Amino acid sequence: MRDFLKRHQIPLLIILLVLVVGLVYSVNLRKKTTTTLFERAVLTLTEPLQGQIDRSGAGINGLWSNYLWLVDTRKQNLVTMRSNRELRAQLLAVKEVALENQRLKKLLDFVEADPRKVLPALVVAEDASSWARTIIIDKGLRHGVREGEPVVVAEGVVGRVIKVAANSSRVLLVTDASSSIAGLVQRTRTRGVVRGNGRELTLEFALRNDPVEEDDLVMTSGMGGVFPKGLVVGRVAAVERNEFGLFQQIVLAPVVDFSRLEEVLVLMDSAE
Amino acid sequence: MRGLFFPLLCGLIFVLLQTTILPRFLPAEMRPNLLLILVIYLGLSESFLRAAFLTLLLGALQDVFCGSTFGLYAAVQLAVFLLIRLFSDRLNVESRRLLLGLIAAGTILQTVLLGFLLTTFAEAGPVLWILLSALPAQILFNLLTGWLLLFFLLRFQPLLGNRQGMAGLPYQSKHHGA
Repeated sequence: MRDFLKRHQIPLLIILLVLVVGLVYSVNLRKKTTTTLFERAVLTLTEPLQGQIDRSGAGINGLWSNYLWLVDTRKQNLVTMRSNRELRAQLLAVKEVALENQRLKKLLDFVEADPRKVLPALVVAEDASSWARTIIIDKGLRHGVREGEPVVVAEGVVGRVIKVAANSSRVLLVTDASSSIAGLVQRTRTRGVVRGNGRELTLEFALRNDPVEEDDLVMTSGMGGVFPKGLVVGRVAAVERNEFGLFQQIVLAPVVDFSRLEEVLVLMDSAE
Repeated sequence: MRGLFFPLLCGLIFVLLQTTILPRFLPAEMRPNLLLILVIYLGLSESFLRAAFLTLLLGALQDVFCGSTFGLYAAVQLAVFLLIRLFSDRLNVESRRLLLGLIAAGTILQTVLLGFLLTTFAEAGPVLWILLSALPAQILFNLLTGWLLLFFLLRFQPLLGNRQGMAGLPYQSKHHGA
């Protein structure tokens, strides 16, 4: 037996490894919104680093877009720039504060309109793959965040919390291919399921005879229990009706600019 | 211990880069998969046991920051590692061109495996379309990043020491990790 194990050490190890990862994957397929101990530990350990890097990244980004990218303009205006540099830096700082103020004011307006308890959070990181659409926010278990809670901004729906660690959480964006929300067209009350396809959204199972038109607003219907009714999800960008078939194909443009997400609100369970 | 710590530290730095810095400058499809490059490199350079263990850990680390199902990247990275290992004995791992070729092949293989697992088991909607549309940019940016990393690795080779069988680094013996 020992000889057999020694002789076939590598093939047996490969089989064992494949079985282990297969088992881990299949178990977690059924528990997508359960955070494993490993995930919780890594998220907890990396959150301060991500927060720090995110803040430094914002500085680098500001430097890149405000100074480096203007290299041609800078050549032309070198003399003027030199005298104005200090004032410019001050102005940028003021602008940043003003923009932040504007965004927070908008968020506060939203908070007043929604009766649920809301928790503001900062986006500190994005998904590490090219196909999934998730973000990491700087609020977690310690702040009362739980898996499944909806995340929004003043413009509309962002997504829902899928993993929670002590000080951070991962949010599945509505544009992710595995995301689906019960939605309805505001004007016609046509019901359907809003699904993500990476960049845009589609409204599936909308009956072919319903007169949905471009620019119609699509809201959450409140069915399914995750998102409250009446949150804006997207705007109809294209409608295609075939001669046959029960449903029409509707493409939606998200109302939220996911490439510029900085602050979000977690709609917390009122029972928490 | 150092042999485990250094690749894991690299993995952690790479994953932090992929989730915080790169998204500020590049759209999702143009962000290189740094952990895949690291797994391919380890698969060619390290001993089987060490590389398998590191691949599993790096896959699990990527799972924490990717998608919604834990275990997906652990499975995919392990499969990529095993397939590369299957052929590495017959290849001249010290060739830089070969390493870049393997990065391109690894990117395609990873996309195929992800597409298969996600459409077969996870019902992830139009994910196959997203993966395939991002594939050309992924190959290009993974190759570019692989080339850049190799360039820096060669520059710092004297600091790392002339260990045997380091992928992409010339003038060394071909025994994997010895």
